[in-house]
Amino acid sequence: MNKSEKRGEQNQESEELRIGVFICHCGLNIAGVLDIQELVEFAKTLPDVVYVKDNRYTCADPGQEEIRKGIKEHNLNRVVVAACSPRMHEPTFRRTVSEAGLNPYLFEMANIREFSSWCHPSTPKEATEKAKDLIKMAVAKARLLRPLQTMEVPVINKALIIGGGIAGISAALDLAEMGFKVYMLENSESIGGHMAQLDKTFPTLDCSICIEGPKMVDVGRHPNIEIISYADLLSVSGYVGNFKVKIRKNPRYVIEENCTGCGECRDVCPIEYPNEWDMNLGVRKAISVPFDQAVPLVYRINRDYCIECYKCVDACGARQAIDFEQQPEEIELEVGAIIVSTGYDIYLPYDNPLYGYGKFANVITSLEFERLILAAGPTGGKVIRASDGKKPRSVAFIQCVGSRDTGKFPYCSNFCCMYTLKHVVQLKEKYKEDVETYVFYMDMRSNFKGYEEFYQRARELGANFIRGRVSRIFEDPKTKNLIIRAEDTQLGKPIEIEAEMVVLATAAIPKKGSDELARILNITRGSNGFFMESHPKLKPIDAPTDGIFFAGACQGPKDIPYSVSQGSGAASRAATVLSKPTWKIEPIIAVVDPEKCRNVKTKCGICAQKCPYGAIKIVEKQPAQVIAAMCHGCGTCVAECPADAITQMHFTDAQILAQIRAALETNPEDKILAFLCNWCSYAGADLAGTSRLEYPPTIRPIRVMCSGRVDRDFVLEAFRLGAAGVMVGACHLPYDCHYISGNWKMKARMEALAPMLHKLGLSPERFRIEYISAAEGVKFAQVVTEMTEQLKALGKEKIKAENKKLKPVLENMLKRKKII
Amino acid sequence: MPLKTLKEETAETLTLEWRLHVKDYKLVLDKKRCVGCEICSLACPKEAIKLERQEKKAGEKAEHAKIDIEFEKCNFCGICDVLCPFGAIRVTVNGEHLLSVVEKESFPQLIRDIKVDSTKCPVDCKECEEACPLDLIRVSRLTVDGKIVENVESLTEEEKSRLKVKVEIEKDFCPCCGICEVKCPEDAIQVSKFFYGKITIHQDKCPDGCTDCLDVCPITGALYLSDDDGKVHVNEAFCVYCGACKVVCPVDEALELERTSINHTPVRSGVWNKTLEKLASPIIMTKELKAKSSQKARESVEKRLGWKVGIHEQE
Repeated sequence: MNKSEKRGEQNQESEELRIGVFICHCGLNIAGVLDIQELVEFAKTLPDVVYVKDNRYTCADPGQEEIRKGIKEHNLNRVVVAACSPRMHEPTFRRTVSEAGLNPYLFEMANIREFSSWCHPSTPKEATEKAKDLIKMAVAKARLLRPLQTMEVPVINKALIIGGGIAGISAALDLAEMGFKVYMLENSESIGGHMAQLDKTFPTLDCSICIEGPKMVDVGRHPNIEIISYADLLSVSGYVGNFKVKIRKNPRYVIEENCTGCGECRDVCPIEYPNEWDMNLGVRKAISVPFDQAVPLVYRINRDYCIECYKCVDACGARQAIDFEQQPEEIELEVGAIIVSTGYDIYLPYDNPLYGYGKFANVITSLEFERLILAAGPTGGKVIRASDGKKPRSVAFIQCVGSRDTGKFPYCSNFCCMYTLKHVVQLKEKYKEDVETYVFYMDMRSNFKGYEEFYQRARELGANFIRGRVSRIFEDPKTKNLIIRAEDTQLGKPIEIEAEMVVLATAAIPKKGSDELARILNITRGSNGFFMESHPKLKPIDAPTDGIFFAGACQGPKDIPYSVSQGSGAASRAATVLSKPTWKIEPIIAVVDPEKCRNVKTKCGICAQKCPYGAIKIVEKQPAQVIAAMCHGCGTCVAECPADAITQMHFTDAQILAQIRAALETNPEDKILAFLCNWCSYAGADLAGTSRLEYPPTIRPIRVMCSGRVDRDFVLEAFRLGAAGVMVGACHLPYDCHYISGNWKMKARMEALAPMLHKLGLSPERFRIEYISAAEGVKFAQVVTEMTEQLKALGKEKIKAENKKLKPVLENMLKRKKII
Repeated sequence: MPLKTLKEETAETLTLEWRLHVKDYKLVLDKKRCVGCEICSLACPKEAIKLERQEKKAGEKAEHAKIDIEFEKCNFCGICDVLCPFGAIRVTVNGEHLLSVVEKESFPQLIRDIKVDSTKCPVDCKECEEACPLDLIRVSRLTVDGKIVENVESLTEEEKSRLKVKVEIEKDFCPCCGICEVKCPEDAIQVSKFFYGKITIHQDKCPDGCTDCLDVCPITGALYLSDDDGKVHVNEAFCVYCGACKVVCPVDEALELERTSINHTPVRSGVWNKTLEKLASPIIMTKELKAKSSQKARESVEKRLGWKVGIHEQE
């Protein structure tokens, strides 16, 4: 470490730069398209590059060893790896160079896989040219890199778990057993989630509440776990290791400590209302618990229905647990890590007239069926029809209601095939030959341990499986039976079946309020509305925000074993934070140059106004101060500062300008310069690559942490150098920005700049702002294709002519700011 | 089946319904019986019932107010059903008229204290049936073996003397105005009101020719137009203090109505205290509370003394 610090100090301005470039074949992923030898030769010609080496797999041990060896043998003080996306392996290589004694921030990556070989396979020549530019840009930035020291902040070793379903329960018990204090926030009255609503579980058919109940009780009794139920999350501030959480506890009008859960109040209460927990099939009292096994077993008065007869007060007597004056209570917690396990909702297909849900009395959803067949349910376990209270002699199950439907929810809801098989088995075993079952399905998905065998069991019990989509359901007005019309794709002809009850396996959809939660936690949602993990394969549990993890179906539909495993996974991921006394923070923060800051002489404070985190302190007549631990490193203040007095470490103006200049050194009229924010649009561009979506090799992307970092000077410089087009890619408005509102600041800035450029004669299609999420690889490819076509239509000559007119004006502007 | 919530209005009824897979809650307002009084809207603990005063058409009689029930607020508790003096609202669960608020003693029932001694009834008297303003009384004559005799005139005196008279009153819908009691020539009917109170019309404040209160009064004879001053006057003997008149009175303070006590089954309930406060006045409510507590105190003292007496006796 001493050596590296020494080396870091040495390579200030005067030190001789010695850059090593390592070009990765990635097997054939890169080498199959790009001409590696040409890249090697090209890299050798770049300024200050003293060593170039290509590897089959740079990320593998031998490849990493090559880097360490190169640093030692050739005395390298900057390293560039041209390989995959920095979002993938930047941390790996930073570790590699630091092992060889180099400061990890003296490393830069050129993304020639996702941004070149994977997205331009049919134009290898152009792809190689693009890769050359990418390497040149990386080297240009590397020449200006400075060593940085990571900062450390203390970690509060407590965790917050949002949502007490089976995933949250597993995570809570694991963390509590490891010795960490856990707060479990539950929005409804009891923990347990959907699993507590179910009758039996597949494929073993053991009773759901019998296996979950003891876990719920464990959570309630564990000395390290505190359940905060019937409460809402109001806000979360801070950062990994140091989150501050505000919660509102809603009034139950029953004092938690005094309530013994005896239920005497419920017995005297005269008022009943539909029980949502029973899918509104049955009722509950105005003072009640949603179900008998509720944890915590604390009664609640629903004041929407209560008539205030105070019979419950009499019944409660000396225990004095009832308090009609109770008010909402706000509490504040400090935690080091947060696990989100908010689960899913069930789609209720009121909006699809095809199935007659809500219209025909005997059409129900699977979750409603679950409450019917459950012995403790509103019918005492009798499957009966709503129309006449009789047991149906034929039941039709319809799969993929809403799911796998491009017009509704395009994804597969994961567990519907299995629970329908379970329902079939349950019905067949309960009523034997008295009941005929039909399952209309698209594909039966039974691909986990014991599932296929369970499918076999259902078939052996004599269920009828009909492969085909239902086209319409009609009701016989007299018998209230249902006539199902479908196409049997195996017979290849339309069929019609009459059933006395229809059960719809409806889609699992994102929990209501997910958008609000995403905003509070600064996390993103995928196009389906489920929370987006940091990496679909390698970081499937981590949110993109450090210190926040996902468990269960909030991230995508999951069955019980999968949710339990992910709960444990999230617990262990959270423990990686909680178990440390301190957490390292990337030093890519903003730094103010006190010499340049205007606030010393006049009143300014623009940076403090624009900072999304309130991390900048302004004192009159003093330079602005950045509170390092609060700075998230978005760089918005840097772009906003009118005096250019703020610098973002590792993303300095000089570094980015060098990248721009390197990118546009040759044939600028053919290129689109793009500024892509790390979390959304850069990730979207990566996804276009990983999805092998081909688009024209015209774009030269520069990574910034947030679109808020994109200074108007960058755009001006790009056009001064003659770029055909400039694109700024950001997270979606209004809430997707990972730095709360950097995208809004960028939008305001660029929307003021665009008309000025148009006035100076720039064609509007040459400057573009795009909002592309990490899930929108397709959109990224489309945008590049479209912009390239537009610029082609505009013509090189027109672009050149415009540039000629623009150049002197832009030069003047930039000279005044001493940028050129 | 998912929860179905229905609100349907026809010319005769307004129906609200919660239809659950296993239970069915229904509230039916019989518009023919509703007189537009204020009782239900005052009593509803969820403030779900709104009175809608009807625009008066020139040259026509005033119309009583109509009620509307806000579906989102109604919880089918049935307090409106219990209190309606005219029995115009009926709340049922699975078709049965069993109200949980009454069963669990969360709410009292009005005491419709009507006693009929039909042995006093002359065979050919139908005064009460004819007098009832709401047509709730049926007088029938039965032979010894229980057969109804339609035509009494055709019988001989001897046959007549062997007949029995049966007086049937539809109690559920009776506001206990007591007109039948007054009209009965033989003192065979005794009616106690369930609302007591005071109603005053300040004729000096009444607009000339206004008979709105009289137009809507459901009890014939409780209000009348005086020949002396051409204004409406009150006959308190028949008034049931329902308040339909007060609802339509166009002038502030021209008609004052106050309920001072309510005849109900005993109950200990917060919602009843509140209802009492709203139907009568806070003073009346406290009076009733005091009466209750002093009674309770008395009972407990008696109990204690009784226990002591017991000890003495043992000694």
